[in-house]
Amino acid sequence: MKCKKLFAVALTATMLISAVPVSADAKETLNFWFPTFASSDGEVTDVEFWEEVIAPWEEENNCEVNVEIIPWDNYEEKYLSGANSNNGPDIGYMYAEMFYDYIDNEQLVDIDEYFTEEEKQNYLYYSLGNHMGGQYGLPVVVGNPRILVANMDILSEAGIDAVPATTEEFLAACQAIKEKTDYTPFLQDWGNSHYGVMGGIFWPFFWGNGGEIVDEEGNLTIDSEAGIQTVEFLKNLYNEGYLSETCTSCDDSIEPFRNGEVAMIYAPSSNIISVDNINWDFVAVVQGSACAKTFVAADSLVLFESCENKELAADLMKHITSADVMSQFHTKVSQQPPITADDTYVGDARFENLFTEYADNFVSLPVFQAAASLYDYLFKNLQSMMLGEMEPADVLTDTTAYYNDNLKF
Amino acid sequence: MTKKRRETVEGILYVLPSFILLMIFCLIPIVMSVYFSFTDYNVMKAPSICGFSNYQKMFQDAYFVASLKNTLIYVLVTVPLQTILSLVFAAFLAKKMSDMKTGGFLKSVMFIPVIASAVTAGTIWRIIYGADNGLLNSFLGIFHIPAVNWLGDTNTALISICIVAVWKNVGYFLVIYYAGIMGISREVYEASAVDGATSWQQFWKITFPMLKPITYLVVTLGIIWSFQVFDLSYLMTGGGPGKSTVTLVMSIYNAAFKQHRMGYACAQAMFLLIVVVVINAIEDKVFKEER
Repeated sequence: MKCKKLFAVALTATMLISAVPVSADAKETLNFWFPTFASSDGEVTDVEFWEEVIAPWEEENNCEVNVEIIPWDNYEEKYLSGANSNNGPDIGYMYAEMFYDYIDNEQLVDIDEYFTEEEKQNYLYYSLGNHMGGQYGLPVVVGNPRILVANMDILSEAGIDAVPATTEEFLAACQAIKEKTDYTPFLQDWGNSHYGVMGGIFWPFFWGNGGEIVDEEGNLTIDSEAGIQTVEFLKNLYNEGYLSETCTSCDDSIEPFRNGEVAMIYAPSSNIISVDNINWDFVAVVQGSACAKTFVAADSLVLFESCENKELAADLMKHITSADVMSQFHTKVSQQPPITADDTYVGDARFENLFTEYADNFVSLPVFQAAASLYDYLFKNLQSMMLGEMEPADVLTDTTAYYNDNLKF
Repeated sequence: MTKKRRETVEGILYVLPSFILLMIFCLIPIVMSVYFSFTDYNVMKAPSICGFSNYQKMFQDAYFVASLKNTLIYVLVTVPLQTILSLVFAAFLAKKMSDMKTGGFLKSVMFIPVIASAVTAGTIWRIIYGADNGLLNSFLGIFHIPAVNWLGDTNTALISICIVAVWKNVGYFLVIYYAGIMGISREVYEASAVDGATSWQQFWKITFPMLKPITYLVVTLGIIWSFQVFDLSYLMTGGGPGKSTVTLVMSIYNAAFKQHRMGYACAQAMFLLIVVVVINAIEDKVFKEER
């Protein structure tokens, strides 16, 4: 009995001691959230990579960095719940659709004051982090432009020797492939469950026709001449039989391309590298009726207002985006182009000049209210159009009306 | 302390942990949701009262209206189908295979979809439903039936998801029905057989009426689960093509986490709660009258 009592007292004491925070070591702590990038069979896991590259900085700054890798599933929910329960990150990672509410609700820091002119000059895409009048993001993963890729053997069979570089050439190629071969001329994944696929199936054509998603005041401007031209162009591709009839159930156009069933697709540059059994070539951008543009992902590091030592956090952001860390990230974790002038390209040789020659043709999504829901609604209306249940012009009119009535306040 | 008082205190102590958990995870969130549904709340700033405007907006929202229509169709298709199929399979297994190893094996096989995650089920069925090289279309091709764009057509997408849901749930309800059937005394069947009842008459006059409490449970669970449908639709079609497979919970999810309109999401959730409660109350009345 006595033993039991003693044991209980000892246990309680241990619990109490462990519950008291240790204050002897006044180490700063920072929470760093980053999404999953490493492949499951990759050289390192995401956590291993970040802990390894951040360790020297931690030692130098007497700071402990808690690295948390956030899976892409339910990414936005985790940020929303984390940021609002004081368990969120000090430094996080956001894509365009996430920014508006966090900036509007003063959750993010304008980081411009923490960077010298020299440092800003060194960042190749610093301006892409400028949203709603402030530098709320530091672009960290800028890449994966959606490029037009073609199976050169099929093109050759149809009597074409180069990947189409203009809309007219593209239509002519589709016509020739349809007439002279048994292959599907063009495939788009209209059956994908996520609107993000519009980066390769809608926005390049829309921007190429001179379209803008929103104006400077944040008003939706898709219902324009350029917009109508684009939706009619896409519907025409379907009606003419250039697009597969079953494209509304296709959720991955790369697979049929890899199987040699399709002549042309739009694909993210880093995804197409895995296709090694097809003789493919690409053009970075297709000249539309107004210009030549395509989508590029421009995701940024962000600094949260709740961070207690913003200067230290900004320093960590500089370390993370330094040439040394980024070149390792691009080699070991995810093949992306450099984001700073002092870094060198380590990716696939075929894309070496992609980011230097065509940087001006790459566009990322704008930041505006309820962007994700707008894209989702537009995507669903475009699917309805493809199925012949909606007229092309109604797609844009209905989407704009829905946005103004239900999403914008 | 008197014996009666001690028993009362003990009773309260036994119930208290469950009661506290129920309060924290069920009652308080429901009460808070009711409150938030009358507010303009984006989680990042304090909520401000906006009256009934969230409820008024719902029925002018094309996305919500489509989700309501789809969810009702989904419930009307899946609940009867999974109830009938699980009852038929359970009756067959109980009658023909209760003493055989094959029966146990079949029960286990039919339970596998229940434990499979929605991601696994969604991925497998996307392959089965593939328009160009899908297993189902290849099978139909043997009989010269033209290929169907199962998930890529607004006329078939929702029904295709209903079929997956039925496939996933039948095993669970089958086990419940099977246990119920095995609980019916054999003597009743023997007596009816002596009176010359056929197998169909036995099923219809004995098995089915005696399984009414089980059917009540199966239908109730089926309705609740069906109104909560989200994962299969989200994974397989993302609500498309068009708005043909958006569901109520998907609409709530989008309002809450894509638009950060928690007040509006709570209003939709409250509407869903009321619909489920009303339908279950009607069902309860119908079953009680029949009992």
